[in-house]
Amino acid sequence: MAARTALVIDDEPQIRRVVRHALADDFGRILEAESGSKGIDMAAAERPALIVLDLGLPDLSGLQVCTEIRKWSDAPILVLSARHSDQEKVALLDAGADDYVTKPFSTIELKARVRALLRRSAAHESNGATTILCGDLKMDLDARTLLRGGALVHLTPIEWELLRFLMTHAGKTMTHRQLFSAVWPGRAYGDAQQYLRVHVANVRRKVEPDPLSPRYIFTEPGVGYRFAACE
Amino acid sequence: MSRAKGDWIRSRSLAWSLAFASLAAAAAILFAFRENLDKAHVSLVFLLVVLASSASGGRVLGSAIAVVAFLIFDWFFLPPYNTLLLRNPLDWVVLVAFLITSFVAAELLYRARAERAAVERAEALREADKLKDALLASLSHDLRTPLTTIKGLAHELQPLGDERTLIIEEQADRLNRLVTDLLDVARLDGGALPLDIQVNAADDLLGAVVQHVSGRPDRNRLRVALDDPASLSLGRFDFVHSLRILANLVDNALKYAPVDTPVDVTGGLDNSEIVFRVADRGAGIPAAERERLFTPFYRPVGRVADAGSAGLGLSIARRLAEAQSGTLRYSDRQDGGAVFELRLPAAFGDASPQQ
Repeated sequence: MAARTALVIDDEPQIRRVVRHALADDFGRILEAESGSKGIDMAAAERPALIVLDLGLPDLSGLQVCTEIRKWSDAPILVLSARHSDQEKVALLDAGADDYVTKPFSTIELKARVRALLRRSAAHESNGATTILCGDLKMDLDARTLLRGGALVHLTPIEWELLRFLMTHAGKTMTHRQLFSAVWPGRAYGDAQQYLRVHVANVRRKVEPDPLSPRYIFTEPGVGYRFAACE
Repeated sequence: MSRAKGDWIRSRSLAWSLAFASLAAAAAILFAFRENLDKAHVSLVFLLVVLASSASGGRVLGSAIAVVAFLIFDWFFLPPYNTLLLRNPLDWVVLVAFLITSFVAAELLYRARAERAAVERAEALREADKLKDALLASLSHDLRTPLTTIKGLAHELQPLGDERTLIIEEQADRLNRLVTDLLDVARLDGGALPLDIQVNAADDLLGAVVQHVSGRPDRNRLRVALDDPASLSLGRFDFVHSLRILANLVDNALKYAPVDTPVDVTGGLDNSEIVFRVADRGAGIPAAERERLFTPFYRPVGRVADAGSAGLGLSIARRLAEAQSGTLRYSDRQDGGAVFELRLPAAFGDASPQQ
């Protein structure tokens, strides 16, 4: 596993250095690209297991790089963003990026996010499971049931779709738009979108021991929701 | 300024002279063929002159030309000639119709132009906002990138056991908070603050406040509760801005109130509003300072300047509340302490989710 490759796309050599240091424990080989177009070429040639992408590259926007790479690669993409750009973060997640950390991030935070992404993509490979376990929750995808501490939880069809989508993407931040199209497929992203948050609040009241201090469904302010990464 | 005004007067008088000259020319040409012409020919040619002058000189010029054309029409082209009297009473209908058509056309043209000007102005404002937003985003990126490096490098050095690395990280975080405040002020002042008003539940916002303090060693001082835990309290507000307000109030309360006292955050509905309260058991705010509390660079009297912020937090918080049609107020807490109350519009029955 030590020969795993990561690719860091950032024009700032000092940031690349910090990221390289943070990734050293988990990756045997760390490649660096100082521009978007070079990053795309290296991602195509080297097929890294993780891509760390900075917003604010000199040649291409983060969105362009992400969209291009997503055409032929499903390697996890972690975005480094400066705050004040929620809309940009959302656009990147919608375009297929997996997660983001906000500058100035700590090395600990970056490592934790990277490990969660690696766990997720490993779990993805061994997919096909029909039950998802997390804490005292047990979701049976075939029977379409949710047990909490062994007791059946009654969910409305919309709540079921919402929770199913979040749990099958555990550990990953899902944008409001992604959640909306999963729950109301084929419907235009618009008015009903605002009820999404109300449904999430209802689901939380059914699955969280304390809805004001969530253990399972986390809010990513301005971006969306994330289900806890379970072991 | 005066030169621009001179130019304006020159262009105005040029338009007026041109309009009257063309009217005179049109009248002279028509007059030469008067015997072979029908009333419709005359009125249509004059109408064209009225429209052209409205287009070049505006509504007033258009109307003036219309009135003069009306008189010329009557005097020279409707028998008996050289008098304002008319032989055929039906000619009055033609004349009045001509006048009304002229006025309406001039007015419509004016409105269409005003509309276009308004659209262009709005477009220019939008462009300016976009530019401001882009500028602030790149400033934000440029300021935070070195902070990330400083933090990261300090962290790398920590295994060496030098506690100064911790101070470097802490100070980088402090600098980041200042940058955030200053950028927010710039966005509020520049009118480049994006608003995303949605139906949100009190549960969600309070949960995010808990998440906000979850990394702090004193997180257990925070107690959150709903006024009515049995039902969902919904409001229409911008989640990110409201979280920033509450997080700021909670940070202040944790910082200024005694370390062994709790900070209570509650949320619930009150008539047409959703109300969030942050209450502490600190010293409260003296009556003399309440006016200044929400002004920029406010700092409690007797507090050292080095408390880790620029004193912008509360003024930003109040402006963010007002930007989403809410209010932020201070009051004394019963039995001692401070209460900050954030009120935002509630969302009601129409917001109940459809299944």
